[in-house]
This record gives sequence, C-alpha cells and structure tokens, in this order.
Amino acid sequence: MLSAVIALAALAAVFGVALGYVSVRFKVEGDPLVDQIDAILPQTQCGQCSYPGCRPYAEAIAHGEAEINQCPPGGEAGVIALADLLGREPMPINPENGVAQEETLVAIIDEDVCIGCTKCIQACPVDAILGAAKQMHTVIEAECTGCELCVEPCPVDCIDMVPVEATTKTWKWPFPEAEQDKAA
Amino acid sequence: MAKELIRVEVAYARPDKQLILPVDVEEGSTAVDAVNKSGIQEHFPEIDFDALKLGVFGKAQKPDTVLRAGDRVEIYRPLIADPKESRRRRAEAEKS
Repeated sequence: MLSAVIALAALAAVFGVALGYVSVRFKVEGDPLVDQIDAILPQTQCGQCSYPGCRPYAEAIAHGEAEINQCPPGGEAGVIALADLLGREPMPINPENGVAQEETLVAIIDEDVCIGCTKCIQACPVDAILGAAKQMHTVIEAECTGCELCVEPCPVDCIDMVPVEATTKTWKWPFPEAEQDKAA
Repeated sequence: MAKELIRVEVAYARPDKQLILPVDVEEGSTAVDAVNKSGIQEHFPEIDFDALKLGVFGKAQKPDTVLRAGDRVEIYRPLIADPKESRRRRAEAEKS
C-alpha cells in the first residue's frame, strides 16, 4: 500500500518536473494560429479585407473579430482552406470586400508617360516599384502582388494591370469545367 | 579582426527584366560599394557607371551614402517623358 503511494507520488513528481521544464524550454513565441492563418492568406497586402495588411487580418480572424470571407485575392480556395483550419463552415466571399480575380495580375508602367512622381511607390505595400523622384519608375514583376493600389494614385494614368504571362513555374492545368465548356 | 558583414540588396529594373541581388557588404560600406560588389553589371551591361543614379527604397541618395542592414540599393534610369511638358498637356486637356 505504502509503496504504491510512494510510486505514484514519485511518478507525479517526475512528470511534473518534466512538463514544467518542457513548457519553459519549448515556449512558443507569438500566436501559432495567427501564423497558420497568415500562411494561407495571399500576402497581397491589398487591404481589401478592411485591415491594413494580411497579418492584421490574420490576427483579427484568430481573435474572432473578422469573418473568413473578406479576402477576394485568396478567392474561394482561400476561404475553404481557412474554414478547414478553423473548423468553420466555408462561405462565399463577401461582395463588400470586392470580387475574386480569375487570373493573377501584375502592374506595368508606361515608360513614355511616367513623370517620376513617386505616388505609386508610396502606395505600394510590398515595395515592388523601383524608382525615385524624377527617375523612371519600374514594377519589379516578381514582387508585385497585383493588388492594384498603385493604379489610382497615378496622376498620368500610366499604370495598367495585365495578366501574368504563364511560365514553366506558374503554369497550371486548366480546370476541367473550362475544357468541357469549350467542347460544348 | 574582420568587420561585420551586413546583408543588403542591389536592384535594377527594366520593363522586361528586373533583378534584386542580395549582397553581403562590410559594415560602413557605401551604396556604390554594394553596387560594385553585387556584379549587377554582368546582368545589365547597359548600366552607365559614370552617371550612376542611386537610391534606397525610393529615395535618391548620394553614391557615398553609408548603408544599413536590409537596405535596398536601387539603380535608377532617366525618365522618357518631360514632366513639365506632360503637365502642360494635361492642363490644356482639362481646359478644353
């Protein structure tokens, strides 16, 4: 009887110490849920969700302040991934936040018209435009997320959004529905 | 003892091709040092080193500006349009 009590007490003490040590040793910095949500969001930093970037939106979702359907660039696939992660029901994109883009866009600057005013550079949330006052502005395609925030500030309307050309890295199989429509 | 290295980037952009090259430079290096070390001229032979216009994150800087870790040194190209001419044309278009 006594030996059983001692054995259980010893076990409890050992596991208690082990758990205490592990909780200190492997302490998680920040909120892992926010990181997981942020990883699903498209990182366009476009602000269409009404938050000032993807990370603030991820925090809002994690704290239950925002719905999961406020990200048009993420599209339906993004909503489904978020619903999966959070155990919620998928829902259609809220039209108040905008419509989902079918294809990835990238900004391009008309060099014959650009006056080097830097307004687009200030608007760009991801530093994808290279240029300075009275110097040519150029979009770095690899950095551009297609958020369109630079289009409106341009005083000479020299920025256009164009579909990204498919390369061997970005090309995807076309959806089967589209093929069926073509055949019909 | 060797000076500590800081990681910066050197970037140049044409409409058809853009490049951001990461470079490790010694602390206290200048913008032009980073450009020379990056080897960006191998990718863009048209860069004119005598008339180099440099900047960091959208702000024009002198070539001897001392860099900080994380800076993106940008090499600029001149404008094609004349801003004054373009402004005059816009003003006229608004009048009519």
